[in-house]
Amino acid sequence: MPTETMVRLTDLRKRFGKNIGLDGISLTIEPGEVFGYLGPNGAGKTTTIRILLGMLRPTSGTSEVLGLDSWRQPVEVHRLVGYVPGEPALYDRLTGHQHVAYCAHLRRRDDRKRSLELADRLGLDLERPARTLSRGNRQKLAVILAVMSRPRLLVLDEPTSGIDPLVQQVFHAILREHTAEGGSALFSSHVLGEVERVADRIGVVRKGRLVAVERLQDLAARSLHQVRARFAEDVPAEDFAGVPGLRDLVVDGRNLSCSAPQSALDSLLKRVSARRVEDFECAEAPLEDTFLSYYGMDRNGSTENTAAGRHAD
Amino acid sequence: MLTSVLAKTLRDQGKSILAWSAALVLIVAMYAAVWPSVRDQPSMGDFIDQMPEAFRSMFATSGADMSTPTGYIQIELLSFMGPIAVLMYAIGAGAGAIGGEEDRHTMDLLLSNPVSRGRVVADKFLAMALVTFLLAAVMGLSLVLEGRLVDLDLPPGEVAATMLHLALLGVVFGSLALALSAATGRTGLSRGLPAGLAVVAYIVNALAPLVESFDRIQKASPFYQYIAHDPLRSGVAWDSVMVSAGTIAVLVLLAILAFRRRDVAA
Repeated sequence: MPTETMVRLTDLRKRFGKNIGLDGISLTIEPGEVFGYLGPNGAGKTTTIRILLGMLRPTSGTSEVLGLDSWRQPVEVHRLVGYVPGEPALYDRLTGHQHVAYCAHLRRRDDRKRSLELADRLGLDLERPARTLSRGNRQKLAVILAVMSRPRLLVLDEPTSGIDPLVQQVFHAILREHTAEGGSALFSSHVLGEVERVADRIGVVRKGRLVAVERLQDLAARSLHQVRARFAEDVPAEDFAGVPGLRDLVVDGRNLSCSAPQSALDSLLKRVSARRVEDFECAEAPLEDTFLSYYGMDRNGSTENTAAGRHAD
Repeated sequence: MLTSVLAKTLRDQGKSILAWSAALVLIVAMYAAVWPSVRDQPSMGDFIDQMPEAFRSMFATSGADMSTPTGYIQIELLSFMGPIAVLMYAIGAGAGAIGGEEDRHTMDLLLSNPVSRGRVVADKFLAMALVTFLLAAVMGLSLVLEGRLVDLDLPPGEVAATMLHLALLGVVFGSLALALSAATGRTGLSRGLPAGLAVVAYIVNALAPLVESFDRIQKASPFYQYIAHDPLRSGVAWDSVMVSAGTIAVLVLLAILAFRRRDVAA
């Protein structure tokens, strides 16, 4: 099959009364790609996802899955999509098996075998009624229901927030198998850490707007090194201010500290070594910190202390 | 059991259907148990005749004779208790059909499967209608069988006709509740408005002989379609059946159109 774009959102807008939910979101997701959809709570992630699934009607703009319109052809779209909601709502009185049976019937498929295999891998007891399941186990059941029909597109709204790390690894393995077969995924989260191991590209949404879309590889190349140096005598800050790409430069008497992208290292080192150095330290920062320093989200997903400018490409 | 939205909806109501059926059997048994003493008490008829006319219109279908089995059942069960029971079930089921699933946040799970919104509304309607007819059948069967034990002999054919009209009455208001539920997703409103309208429709039909303005709109009342032609004596009135069926069809169509147009609550 030729590579047809899996998801195409075009200038998607959604207003809820006077409130603006989405303010012109455009993005595409290709086959085999995992798109990490990042943003603080309330930025519009869930609204985007629910428009993509045809639950909400966009005020303007279009949402398409393999060329099918989410609002006008929801049944055809749902045949292609598996959805894991953020807060999985299940039928309290039905067991895991019964959920599987119901969804499989609605899809006119027999997914029992696949569901058993997935439940085994995730360590979920399908005999238990949903109301007795913990949040993590509800999450697992939602994942099984979404994945078992082998959809072309997986839409995951903060799927691993209640799941322990070991299960998360299984989940990531399932996701990799899905993309290896040409499937795509839209994976939303409010922290980069949750998606950095699986996403190919990330998009950052804030107040209903997509403020950045970036390959994770490119972000890694821009990853910052935490540099610290102590000199034998006081140094003037101006000596280092000229290095391009340098961030968070602090010179305090004999001490220097800064964050430097790879590209700035050579020039920085030459200026440092021009003086007598007593101590030197250089460590690569976690991707998360790089990301935060570029997009100014704190670890809880809030954007109050927006430090850096926008780096949309 | 979980092969479709219809099957799942019926399955969910399994216990409640049993409870409703048991309640109806008991209600009918109660009326049957009282019958011998009413029959042997001719003054009951005089008592009713002496009631103020408005009161008699409200609680007793006019012209019914308490000393005959049909008159007794018409006054005691069909005028009041029977419709209340059937309406309570149908309105509750209709109101909960769409809004209830949204209240429990399961509508996203259901609709993320390849099922159209129209299909969901249609299946929820079918479940509500089927159970309403089932409950009416239970009531009719109880009337005929329990009646025999106490010489409360009722003609089975006419009882069946009456129950058909009673079920249609329930389904009309149940469909109204379903349409409101589909259009707004608000369960309370979808329950309250049809219940209030049912009371109004009841009063309009009952007091039409006394109030001129009611007389003009009486035929619009679903209670008129249900009982005005005295089904326990005259059987099925097909024109009334057609009016009810038409009303139901329009309401279900509106429910589907409304649900297809709006945002689903998360």
